[in-house]
Amino acid sequence: MKTKMKVLWLSAISCNGNTHSFFNYSQMEQFLEDFEFIYHPVIDSKYLLQDIVSQDIECDVLLIEGAISKEFKRADLSIVDIIQRYSKRVKKIVTVGTCATFGGIFRESGYEKTSGLHFDQEKRVDTFKSLLDKTISLSGCPVHPEVLVNTLYAIKKDITLKVDEFLRPKEFYAYTVHNGCTRNEYFEYKVDNHNFGELEGCMFYDHGCQAPFTHGSCNKILWNEVNSKTRAGLPCMGCTEPSFPRQNLFSTKKNMAIPEHLPVGVNKRVYLTLAGITKAFKIDRLEKKLFDD
Amino acid sequence: MLDKKQLKKEQIIECALELFASRGFYSTTIPDIAKSLKMSVGNMYNYFKSKDILASEIIKYISVYLGKKLREINEEDISTKEKTRKIVEMYFKTASVKPEMIDYFLRIYLSNREVFRDTCEGMLCVNEFVTEIMIYFEEGVRCGDLREQDFFSAFGLFMGYLGGMVFLKGEDILPKDLNEYVEDITYNIYKALSSQ
Amino acid sequence: MIKLIEKIEGEAKLDFSFKDGKIDFVDVKFMSTRNIENILKGKRAFDALVINPRVCGICGHAHLIATVQALESCYEDLELSNKAKIMRELTLNFELIQNHFKWFYLTILPFFGHSQQILKATYPTQLMGKAIAIFGGQYPHTSYAIVGGVVCEITQMDIVKCDNYISQTLKFVEDNIVKVDAKTLLEATNSDLLLEYEGDLPNILREIKKEDVLKDAKSYDRFIAFGESSFFKKGKSLKAKVSHKISLEDVKESEVPSSFAKNVSYKDKYYEVGPLARAMINKTPLIVDAHKKHGDSVFSRVLARVYEISTLLNHSKILLKNLDLAEPSYIEPPLDISKLNSSGFSAVEAARGTLIHKVEIKDGIIKNYEIITPTQWNLSGGSREKPGVSQKAMVGLGDIKTAELVFKSFDVCSVCTTH
Repeated sequence: MKTKMKVLWLSAISCNGNTHSFFNYSQMEQFLEDFEFIYHPVIDSKYLLQDIVSQDIECDVLLIEGAISKEFKRADLSIVDIIQRYSKRVKKIVTVGTCATFGGIFRESGYEKTSGLHFDQEKRVDTFKSLLDKTISLSGCPVHPEVLVNTLYAIKKDITLKVDEFLRPKEFYAYTVHNGCTRNEYFEYKVDNHNFGELEGCMFYDHGCQAPFTHGSCNKILWNEVNSKTRAGLPCMGCTEPSFPRQNLFSTKKNMAIPEHLPVGVNKRVYLTLAGITKAFKIDRLEKKLFDD
Repeated sequence: MLDKKQLKKEQIIECALELFASRGFYSTTIPDIAKSLKMSVGNMYNYFKSKDILASEIIKYISVYLGKKLREINEEDISTKEKTRKIVEMYFKTASVKPEMIDYFLRIYLSNREVFRDTCEGMLCVNEFVTEIMIYFEEGVRCGDLREQDFFSAFGLFMGYLGGMVFLKGEDILPKDLNEYVEDITYNIYKALSSQ
Repeated sequence: MIKLIEKIEGEAKLDFSFKDGKIDFVDVKFMSTRNIENILKGKRAFDALVINPRVCGICGHAHLIATVQALESCYEDLELSNKAKIMRELTLNFELIQNHFKWFYLTILPFFGHSQQILKATYPTQLMGKAIAIFGGQYPHTSYAIVGGVVCEITQMDIVKCDNYISQTLKFVEDNIVKVDAKTLLEATNSDLLLEYEGDLPNILREIKKEDVLKDAKSYDRFIAFGESSFFKKGKSLKAKVSHKISLEDVKESEVPSSFAKNVSYKDKYYEVGPLARAMINKTPLIVDAHKKHGDSVFSRVLARVYEISTLLNHSKILLKNLDLAEPSYIEPPLDISKLNSSGFSAVEAARGTLIHKVEIKDGIIKNYEIITPTQWNLSGGSREKPGVSQKAMVGLGDIKTAELVFKSFDVCSVCTTH
């Protein structure tokens, strides 16, 4: 008989969005043959949360969803104590989502010193310093189910994943969300007259799209296997980044009409030079409706 | 090794600039320029295929020249107000040391757009210069010194003002030397753009 | 005796007191909150469109729609295309449907000696997620509905795709939930006849019917729904008598000392919200019949929730046909939000019932935000003298396991309740 990898899914200060995002994983049947949840917020498990907090149950991987504060309790035990207990046992810890990784939206929920496991936005947090080597960060609000599940398979198969400075696997986070967006041409040629409700146009110039400086595979591994926010016309909100959520999300922060945040790794001079060149040309095809009569 | 052809090109540009300034753009021909450089007309065409191409290469040359100067200022660790003064100074200095450059920009490039239509769409030929101005504005707003506004309303105010002063100077209308206006003009521009 | 109720998008504690072997009171406690309303204060109004879906991972879309409608109600002459309205209604329907599948296969089945049917929960759920993603880009946590419409434009092919996801989901219902063609099920009026069919729903209903103890687990027989759509009607039902004249002004929220969940009442009375309430107010024949025979019991509640899958799928097909692609998806608001000083509110029907959002804006910044969630209505913790809806349904039962089923029949969502 195959041995299933034992996974503990622990929710801290969260909305359970990652839990439900996970349900969109399309090869669930196979997954459930390879993994077993010793506890999951929705899926029935061998143990109750009460057992988890009162005993020390065998486990291979600890998944943490939600922001972390010593003050926050599950079944009357501080989430920090639960993490500390299981982190010693497990082979790997995965922070599932931006809250668990950086603090995210619930960083502001008012609990004392709320943050991600190792990061408070960009700052390092030392509480769990000894676990750094064991941790993989999967940021995103929520995390794409493929990103989560395939990371779990990597752990199961002892594959060493290259990670970035925030411990995010480069396989998923070396890309920008901009990669693969169907609106790319409007960005490339600086066609900046985007209006909501249209197939055409790029949201980077006016409507706050953070895709060119947000790390993630949203336009490479499509959501629900059919679409992405930017393809649909919704600006990328930068939900995989330590800064999520920034303020004024539907509007591009500009200085004298020049976007403050530029594509990641692109020098301002280079960007403006290229922009100046492309803006000089009017490309009729991109000024027109995609489906014109 | 410095590119010989590039060097020659620059020589032609410098010479053409002077001739355009002294004789006028339309009355100066390619053979005139060749003659002045003691080159054959045929050889001249090896460098620039037409007068229009030469014209746009000249504007690019000026843009690179000014852009380089601006970049030096942008990269200095000084306040936006100081940068403003240095840009005004640099522009006026160029207008007095190389008057043909600013003259070309104001009287030929801006006044004969039809010549540049095919090769210099938008701000294509003045990209280096405009990019540096953008960086000056962007950093000014980012650090809180300048007020957020449309790029062109700021650009027009700045460059229109400087251009206007050089134009007045060229027409011999200015009673004083350009340098004497640096202080007031800096004050005016900064006050107009400042976030205060 | 205190029992920790788990896997309800968090936990709640039920403190049971027994008298003569029967439950005579249950105190309902929610132990934590995330202070969403505080997080919103001081933020730009439009940012609520991104923050609020994160109230809940399973019904976040209802929070998005409630947010956008609350913000839109702050404007005086905002224009909204019919096309945008239909798209919003469609995606909200799809969210309700995925929720009901999950609840039935993951929460209800295990009470009757079955194991969870994870794949039966995820298969149709994923189809509905895809259908939402066509419009919203992704599910969960899209913010595609914005003030003035929706961000997306859709094409003929999108409509074809969406229609197929609905058809495929209907087929799943026919093959699994009730093994009869969709049309027959929609036209059904007799809940007894329904029990003669094969399928996961009739199976469970037959088992519920067998449990004598569940027959008396009833509450006040008072229902309310404030959310209106082209399908749902606003109104209340008292002992099956329906009236449509209700006002949000009579809804009151009050603090509870022992719990992070606030109580919600209408004219000082507790009302049940959710699919059963909606079906009673809509006078859905099959559910009215079940209610006549079984009252506001677990039987009616389970049937109403699962049956809503079929009615909503059917209605979504009609909505999809009504989409006029020539209309705009988005019409720019007449006033920039940063110049807006106003207040507004909204009510939408979320999976678990009426969801209310109230907002106050000054110069485009949120001054105050209030959220009343469906679970608050159903789980308001009343006193012994005046128990809440779920409390009343549990009183008189003899064991905790049954009480937990009754409690979960309301489809409890912990994260929403305390938000």
